[in-house]
Amino acid sequence: MATRGIKPQPRGKPSGLPFHAKFTDVAAKAGLTAPVIYGPPDRMDYIIESMGCGVAFIDYDNDGWLDIFLLSGTRREGPVAGATNRLYKNNRDGTFTDVTAKAGLVRQGWAFGVTVGDYDNDGFDDIFVSAWPQNYLYRNNGNGTFTDVTEAAGLIQAGNRWGTGCTWVDYDRDGRLDLFISHYVAFDFDKIPITGKDPACNYKGVPVNCGPRGLTPERPMLYHNNGDGTFTDVTAKSKVGAVQPGYGLTAVAADLDGDGWQEIYVASDSTPSLLFKNRGDGTFDEVGLESGLSVNEDGREQAGMGIAIGDFDTDGQLDVLKTHFAEDTAALYRNTGHLEFEDVTLRAGLGVEPRYVSWGDGIVDLDNDGLPDIFWVTGSTFPEVERMHPELPHKGPRILFRNLGGGKFEELLDGAGPAINEVHASRGVAFGDFDNDGDIDILIMNINEPPSLLRNDSRGGGHWLKVKLVGTQSNRSAIGAVVTVIYGDRKQSQAVMAASSYLSVSDRRLHFGLGAAATADIEIMWPTGARETLKGLKADQLITVKEGAGVISQERFSQ
Amino acid sequence: MMRQPAISLRHRRLRPTMDQTLGAPSIERLLLDGWETTNLGMALVRFSFLSILLALASLAAQAQQPSDKPQPTQQSSADAHISKGTQLLHDQLYEAAAKEFEQATALEPNNAEAHFEDAVCLLALGRNDDARAQFEQVEKLKGSSRYVTYYLGRLDLLANDYPSAIKRLNAVAATPPFPDTYFHLGVAYVSSGDTEKGIAWLEKAVKLTPTDYRAHYRLARAYSSAGREQDAAHEYALYNQYLNQHKSTETDARACSEALRTQSADAAHDVCQHMFDPNDPEKLTLLGQLYGEAGQFPQALDPLNQAVKLDPDSYEAWHDLGLTYFRLEKYADARGPLEKAARLRPQAYGTVVMLGATLYMLGDDAAALPVLEHAHQLNPSDEQTAAILDKLRAEQPKK
Repeated sequence: MATRGIKPQPRGKPSGLPFHAKFTDVAAKAGLTAPVIYGPPDRMDYIIESMGCGVAFIDYDNDGWLDIFLLSGTRREGPVAGATNRLYKNNRDGTFTDVTAKAGLVRQGWAFGVTVGDYDNDGFDDIFVSAWPQNYLYRNNGNGTFTDVTEAAGLIQAGNRWGTGCTWVDYDRDGRLDLFISHYVAFDFDKIPITGKDPACNYKGVPVNCGPRGLTPERPMLYHNNGDGTFTDVTAKSKVGAVQPGYGLTAVAADLDGDGWQEIYVASDSTPSLLFKNRGDGTFDEVGLESGLSVNEDGREQAGMGIAIGDFDTDGQLDVLKTHFAEDTAALYRNTGHLEFEDVTLRAGLGVEPRYVSWGDGIVDLDNDGLPDIFWVTGSTFPEVERMHPELPHKGPRILFRNLGGGKFEELLDGAGPAINEVHASRGVAFGDFDNDGDIDILIMNINEPPSLLRNDSRGGGHWLKVKLVGTQSNRSAIGAVVTVIYGDRKQSQAVMAASSYLSVSDRRLHFGLGAAATADIEIMWPTGARETLKGLKADQLITVKEGAGVISQERFSQ
Repeated sequence: MMRQPAISLRHRRLRPTMDQTLGAPSIERLLLDGWETTNLGMALVRFSFLSILLALASLAAQAQQPSDKPQPTQQSSADAHISKGTQLLHDQLYEAAAKEFEQATALEPNNAEAHFEDAVCLLALGRNDDARAQFEQVEKLKGSSRYVTYYLGRLDLLANDYPSAIKRLNAVAATPPFPDTYFHLGVAYVSSGDTEKGIAWLEKAVKLTPTDYRAHYRLARAYSSAGREQDAAHEYALYNQYLNQHKSTETDARACSEALRTQSADAAHDVCQHMFDPNDPEKLTLLGQLYGEAGQFPQALDPLNQAVKLDPDSYEAWHDLGLTYFRLEKYADARGPLEKAARLRPQAYGTVVMLGATLYMLGDDAAALPVLEHAHQLNPSDEQTAAILDKLRAEQPKK
């Protein structure tokens, strides 16, 4: 994994401003007690054991409360009792019930990424899981159960492949969700060099698991949804397969240039990250380099892990945050229009934090002050290194930068509740309001530990607005839509996405902190390209907007 | 009469790690690219330094004879700390180096050189505010210099103070202290929003350092912002070309290092010769260092001789060439390169002491004595040098 040996920027004086969100890990109290098994408990002999997996917030039963889908790994030596992907139903009282078996989702193996979307437009969210050696698709039967339809859908891949990033995307705007999958390396337990075998299997003088450098890179794939439950491989036809092979991880789809067609961005680990510009004719051009999203400001590739899309400077354009390896900063890219991005990491103040290997991330307004904050989780891929280099710990804290406005951020080392400083080897992160109290909570995957569920108790009195979209001409999940909310003197955009962070899925109800503004206007660009404007919406409610029909429901949460 | 040393050769195993970015092993580059690691190159230089000490130890053993002269003083001097700090800086041990320079400034608060070197270390450590204070101290002591102005300009750039960065870097642009002055000035202009001027300086940067992929990348981005897509495409192509060359050097160096460690000399030579680029002095120097690390000194001579021809101001190339001749016991051949290296870095203890040892081996005691005295002044705690000095001093009156 590429690292740049970056030293932290000096920290400025603390602003002293209060931060009104406080996070407490309530996972155990909520019943999320099963550990997520991922390789041996004390070491990582193979790269596959070190990458961890994603998590998802999904409302699988359409009851308006977020349920949880957790991926899982296994161990090379054989099945581990209790290791399985898990579906937890939200009991609407702060607790969850494990319904994995009842839902037909018991499965043990090496799962990595997840994407949630209604690919068959039947009104229920389906689940696709990227995995090694085979990915799988679960169709939601609408009755609390799922059916594995991978083979029937034509999604079985030839040979063993390591799927990582995956996202639903209606790239041709036909109203049906297509599927993009990135791949990491060609992996075979029996062919991977052993720990410390060659220079690429050492870090800081300590023998560690090998890769990704030195292993065979892979190309991504794109499947077209035929509308009859099957998919067709259009990797070549769409030109997605024309790129140089790389070490692909998280993939996100969003309309980054506002032309009504979704781009696909792939965080690559030690190879240039990829930005596929949607040409609107069923094909893509890879324009990562030209856009500024491919490499760092000096032209070198970074160890891309997680991707967040959001509008940190509230200028109405979607910006990008990408996390990287230790001794490098996360990269914050400001969208300057026309699919060009400016690296503003140092200017924004993020250069103070290069200490940890960083993973799932989000640009989310955690304290409802109207300014999206930045959050990511950390954890090393080489537990062995900590013994010789305590400055590179296996378990790391959660990183929170509060948005000060004016494009500046401040890292909150304390003051955001006890859960922020707790250390874990974390990977996937999902953001969503699981307790429907009007703020964003955080679900985190921890390797070989139970997940963390950070309940946000936001007390600042900032207003908020949640927007849920239902497509009619567009895909029913409205994945690919962009919602711009105008409040006070700000204009903030968010995208409806089927995957982001690190291999994870967040609440598809878009949450906008509004600060002091008690009303807001919203502009919607639907995935079909159609636009819709709604004026004078009251704050502190969830509105559901149906394409072509306007607001179809308004719901106030009891706090 | 040439003396015969009994030098024991030892080789420290080289194991480049995955995050090492191999590049030009020049000290300037290390200082300027504070965000890149060049550990392999520096590890080799460090190895070279250790080998000098080993050589000196054997010389000292030869020179051992009873002496009634007082032992060399252990008292610290600012020069000694500066010399130690210089070596540590050379080895990229910035924190330790900064401590040495800070001890030097404590002893001699008006020693501008110590403040300057301390500032360079602090910059590499990311302690930008502290670095700025030290550079400003140098200005107070010595007045403005283009080197200090350059560094303050770079610190301004890191602090996003573009107007000040532009002012400072512009002030030194007529006689740029380092080859990347134009690059940083161009970046400052682009960051400030003045793309047109940024392009003009970045165009100068790529002319001055045509193989610097960073400059081509930044220029391509600037062209793209200005809507000059064709020019941008041209620069992206050059960026890709030079980045690939850079990566190929990394790959080749790792392969060469591994081959030298695991294969026969002939087989390793076949692998390593991929690095022999007759037009790239940095690559040639690195190749020479890799051969030297493996103890294959005869093979190191060709690339190092070619490197000094291409870049006669490269301290590393001259030093390594001198070291190689020294290890081959060709002291007459070692003398010239070491004298050149010592002229380029008079405070580099490793070079100075090796030059002294070379002169001593050549029997030119009159020339060796002042050089070794200088070395001893730079590092008073080096007992081997002290022993040889004692012997030379004892012999002086007899002549």
